[in-house]
Amino acid sequence: MRLYINNSLCSGCRACLVTCSVNLFQENNPKKAALVLIPHFPEPGGYEMKVCTQCGDCAQVCPTEAIKQNERGAYYVDRAECNLCEACVPECLEDVMFVNTKHADTAWKCDLCGDCVSVCGTFALSIGEIDAVPA
Amino acid sequence: MNGYGGSILRVNLTEGRITRTPTSPGLARDYIGGRGFGIYTLYHEVPKGADPLGPENKLIISTGPFAGTMVPGGGKCDWTTKSPLTGGYADASMGGHFTAELRYAGLDSIILEGISPKPVYLFIDDDTVELRDAAPYWGKGVFDVEDEFKKKYGEEFQIAAIGPGGENRVLYACVNHDIGRQAGRGGVGAVMGSKQVKAIVLHGTKSIPVADVAGLRTASLALFKACKEAEMTRDWTRYGTNIVSSWCDEVGALPTHNFQAGSYEGAKTLSGPVMREQLVVMDKGCFACPCPCGKYSRLKKYKSHLEGPEYETVGLFGANLGISDLQDVGECNRLCDEYGIDAISAGVCVGWAMECYERGLLTKADCDGLELKWGNVEAVHATIRKIAFREGKLGELLAQGTKKAAETVGGGSEKFAIHVKGMEQSAYATHSATAMLLAYMTGDVGAHHNRSWAITYDLQVGRDKVVPEKVARIIWLQDFRPMFETLGCCRLQWVELGIDRDLYMPALDAIVGGAHTWKEMEHIGARIWNLTRLYWAREIEGFDRSWDMPSPRFYSEPPKSGATQGQITRLEDVNKLLDIYYEQRGWDANGLPTPETLKNLQLDQVVL
Amino acid sequence: MTVMLRLHPALRSYVEGKPELTAAPGASVRAVLSDAGIPVELVAAVIVNDEQRDKDYVLQAGDRVRLLAVIGGG
Repeated sequence: MRLYINNSLCSGCRACLVTCSVNLFQENNPKKAALVLIPHFPEPGGYEMKVCTQCGDCAQVCPTEAIKQNERGAYYVDRAECNLCEACVPECLEDVMFVNTKHADTAWKCDLCGDCVSVCGTFALSIGEIDAVPA
Repeated sequence: MNGYGGSILRVNLTEGRITRTPTSPGLARDYIGGRGFGIYTLYHEVPKGADPLGPENKLIISTGPFAGTMVPGGGKCDWTTKSPLTGGYADASMGGHFTAELRYAGLDSIILEGISPKPVYLFIDDDTVELRDAAPYWGKGVFDVEDEFKKKYGEEFQIAAIGPGGENRVLYACVNHDIGRQAGRGGVGAVMGSKQVKAIVLHGTKSIPVADVAGLRTASLALFKACKEAEMTRDWTRYGTNIVSSWCDEVGALPTHNFQAGSYEGAKTLSGPVMREQLVVMDKGCFACPCPCGKYSRLKKYKSHLEGPEYETVGLFGANLGISDLQDVGECNRLCDEYGIDAISAGVCVGWAMECYERGLLTKADCDGLELKWGNVEAVHATIRKIAFREGKLGELLAQGTKKAAETVGGGSEKFAIHVKGMEQSAYATHSATAMLLAYMTGDVGAHHNRSWAITYDLQVGRDKVVPEKVARIIWLQDFRPMFETLGCCRLQWVELGIDRDLYMPALDAIVGGAHTWKEMEHIGARIWNLTRLYWAREIEGFDRSWDMPSPRFYSEPPKSGATQGQITRLEDVNKLLDIYYEQRGWDANGLPTPETLKNLQLDQVVL
Repeated sequence: MTVMLRLHPALRSYVEGKPELTAAPGASVRAVLSDAGIPVELVAAVIVNDEQRDKDYVLQAGDRVRLLAVIGGG
């Protein structure tokens, strides 16, 4: 399972971002979320989101095996094992692997908690099976 | 302090000195935030008789505990000041994403004081706070300015800016943010312009301290569930505020030809479905809003984009001016936004001018060669520009607002200047809707519908009925509704979707701690309401019940057409409404709070 | 085949709390409201298959209809 985003439905509200930071860090702070919102204004007018596709590339390169799979089958960062080497960051094709020591002493990423889907009023975000064939 | 950014930022523009003080727990307890902080600061710090466009006035931007958190719609801040338009109290509520960023910068309030010797912008990036040179931006429209700041500093920065309207101190100039959001009414943009502040450029990366995060998550998820499952959500989101325009036309509430009537023959082409079909690109949302009413639109005719038009503009630049094409109305909306003037006041003011033109009170020469006839779109677009730049006789006249413009022109034009206390009436015609009429008469910024809205209620109870229950409803709404913004979130999730308001209290408890009720919030709302009333009484020489009277049009000129043809409220009923209102509010015959009322609200220490 | 018209909560008191009206295809929304005793002017919007229509819209078999009221306002 993984997150999916339908950009044409995204209103740019950022409910997902603040909800994500509550899940990951128990804080209300969109700067500590694991998805990325990219506005495109004035033309064409709309938002784009980057979400984790659960491809596992980050886990493959992690030298301390800090990136594991949870009960949902999603990759997450075990903070105790992360040494902030940042090998994972450039591996992520969606740029949704985060390291920022101002905010946390660990890398962080989406763990597929699903709360962002719950708070997405326009149904832009959803969770579904990982496609065998890319769309 | 849980639920608060923690600091108040004071910017002395005269001296270029910036100080940060901790937010007082007492202030938070007794006034919560938002306009509560605003009126408290205004009343106690801005001296009686201060010139609204002078150095003694202050512009106070505040938010509250819900803002920037997981609470749906937690993106509202209130901009409070002494109004250059009315001479009394003004506050304007702004949505979008600026408010949340304010909280992430650790702030609850920004107070702009004095006057800068040269144009500046306030730059805030966490603890870096500086006044920077705004010369490269002065004179520019808000869209360009916001774009340039985002390119310079990054997309994460949130910008609130004035346009030429504010720079030129048009008395109803506004502040613009994120393309389509404004601190709109009362001239807050003119105050910002008088202080020579072009923009606030804001970024923060801090977390908001919260008492019980797990509890907040549970309460917020319940709120989001209620919003997403509400009956109205899908349709409200699809059409936004313009969902009501056809209905307002049907019930005689759509202002037509300067509020001469409440129904408009061209209403069909201004409707929600036409807007959706012809204009809308996407639904654009304020912070954490599950029902985004903002409509990012493309105007093919003008090769431009805007966020809008809103119902208010459809009413006041459409039906009110005899314009039936949504693209033309959209361009009116866009021009007002770009130049930074309140589209509501502008639409009413232009409508007044058109009626003057019709009656020969304004000639073509008075209008600098423009033919201000109903439906003349080019003339309206040109007039908006003239107002923003105070250009020519017409621009200079209309930049003063409808009340002062009517005093200047005279000739009976005061009788059809549609305002209360100098604030132009927003887009609901009230020839026969007594609760809504009272809402406009007693609104604390003037004739604005933000505090209480009662059109359906009027229809349910009987439009022309003047009964204590109507007054009680208006008072309850006035004490209750604005507490959403005071708490830092949008009221439209309750107002439009009708979700259970009790769902909000667990979120408040989780954020600030303790156990809170709406009764407590309404008590604070009444306290804020009465302090605001005391402010009016202090600032306006001879303030009395005459300041609560509506435009004479609504008790003397029954519409000649439309759903309310032949209907009008009687003057004796207007007075009866006001008498019952004063009685229920605990005010004397002149509309001033009695000592007992002040004591019950813990305001007995405030001296007039 | 009857058409179901879902009522906004504020409109239900006129029909003893029922959440929906039923009507025959071929009737106008206005007529359906009138027959049910719901004041037409309280209905702020008529949504048929997710599109806003006016009250003279003639119902067709299979239409999904919502009748909205604006209680809180602006």
